[in-house]
Amino acid sequence: MKKIALAVTVLTGILLLYAAQDFPAWGDLQSPASASPVSKHFIADTGVDTEVPNMVTAVLADYRGFDTMFETVVIFIAGIAIIGILRRTGADADAPALKRENEIAAEPDLIVTNTVRLLVPVIQLFAFYVLAHGHVSPGGGFQGGVIMGASFILVALAWDLPKAMDRLSVDRAVMLAGVGILIYAGIGLFSMLLGGEFLDYAELSHVLPVSREMARYHAMLGVEIGVAFTVTAVMFAIYANLSTRGRLEGGL
Amino acid sequence: MTVEGFTVFAGAALFVLMLPALYRVAVGPTSFDRLVAVNVIGTKTAVLLVVIGTLFGRLDMFVDFALAYALLNFVASLAVARYLNRTRSMPAKKPAKRRTPRKKKARAS
Amino acid sequence: MSMDVADSFVGGFSLDLGFLAEASVETIHSGLSALDVCGMILASVGLVFFLGAAVGLYRFPDFYTRMHAAGKGDTLSSLLILLGFGLITLDDFSMVGWLLVVKLLAIVLFIMLTSPTSTHALMRAGFEDGVEPVTKGSSSKNTKKEGES
Repeated sequence: MKKIALAVTVLTGILLLYAAQDFPAWGDLQSPASASPVSKHFIADTGVDTEVPNMVTAVLADYRGFDTMFETVVIFIAGIAIIGILRRTGADADAPALKRENEIAAEPDLIVTNTVRLLVPVIQLFAFYVLAHGHVSPGGGFQGGVIMGASFILVALAWDLPKAMDRLSVDRAVMLAGVGILIYAGIGLFSMLLGGEFLDYAELSHVLPVSREMARYHAMLGVEIGVAFTVTAVMFAIYANLSTRGRLEGGL
Repeated sequence: MTVEGFTVFAGAALFVLMLPALYRVAVGPTSFDRLVAVNVIGTKTAVLLVVIGTLFGRLDMFVDFALAYALLNFVASLAVARYLNRTRSMPAKKPAKRRTPRKKKARAS
Repeated sequence: MSMDVADSFVGGFSLDLGFLAEASVETIHSGLSALDVCGMILASVGLVFFLGAAVGLYRFPDFYTRMHAAGKGDTLSSLLILLGFGLITLDDFSMVGWLLVVKLLAIVLFIMLTSPTSTHALMRAGFEDGVEPVTKGSSSKNTKKEGES
């Protein structure tokens, strides 16, 4: 069986490598992606419209802002669904814990906990950097949120889940996830209140002391912060429920 | 030897030297052997990202990727180590041998 | 190790290099600076250490010896290669160059902290799981049979 799997894997790899030859060369002007007027439009106009150097962030959070909002909602729903399936409440809560064969409760390790103690603040700072620097370099709400969630998961891995849940309980995480979507949709609705369309960030220049382009720039940061809230909270909630089969006790 | 040629050489050498680790992932008798090899490949991928960034002349972007990759690699190997430490998949063959380190720890803490 | 050798490693991908050479021509045309040479030497030493780690990972008889090769060789070679490329990047002493080197040093510090820690965690998990070390009498076959999960 393993041999067959290996053969299939190798065959698929060879096929993919063979198919990769048909890709247009790097930076080819005649390739469909470069030749289409859409990419020309974004390359020429993104900087003028939004003053954001990173085109990807501008497309994600501004041109396609509606899509990204519902992507965030999808992540929120995924987290809620996992909690809804796994979390034990009511009559189930008192049932004895399922123990696997030979399962032993592992204690926190001295070396690991001390390393994590050193690293977690740095990681969270890096998450803020990735979030706030998303306009200029690769990054943004989703990436920063994942790194932020990873820092909480690291705490849960090094000690155990209750220690991490002292910092961010699952209930509060669900609330934070909702707050993230609220920030996103709130910015959209606020720009609607100011006379524009939903998620038309340029209207925020009425309240912010900046030009219409810079208003888009700042609103994008706000939207990314909302996304980061949701992703952080959902990452941790999913980890907490999956790793303990919904019991929220003990470590992984 | 130009800087560029050396960069290409270093990237290719990193890739080629990952193959023995990949062999260990595929063959490795215990799951821990596989994990060590995966950890090595992960660390080296972070280094490879820096090399690729130097080659593309966009190191300012690739440095962030490398840092994030190293971080996620650390989280992943810690998680798997923790998981394997808790659940013993093998039947307890020599319980005396296994208890020894555990007792020591209990005294220390 | 001329450019030809490097090219022969990557074969068909050499077409990319023309574009890259254009992009970075202003840093390369002036030949090698002392920093470049130092960086190349550091990175080469790192590659040699990684060769040791790879051979050890491939050849050593049991989990603990492989861990020995992988843990030490991997960490040190990563540090050396990253420092080498940091020196190569630090060509023009511009503000951006310094920032990049600081970020590279952050990665170096990060790997220096995390790689031994994850090695330790894996080692402890393996030890408490009862992976048998190779002893003088036993062949490596014994460890292979046990612990397959």
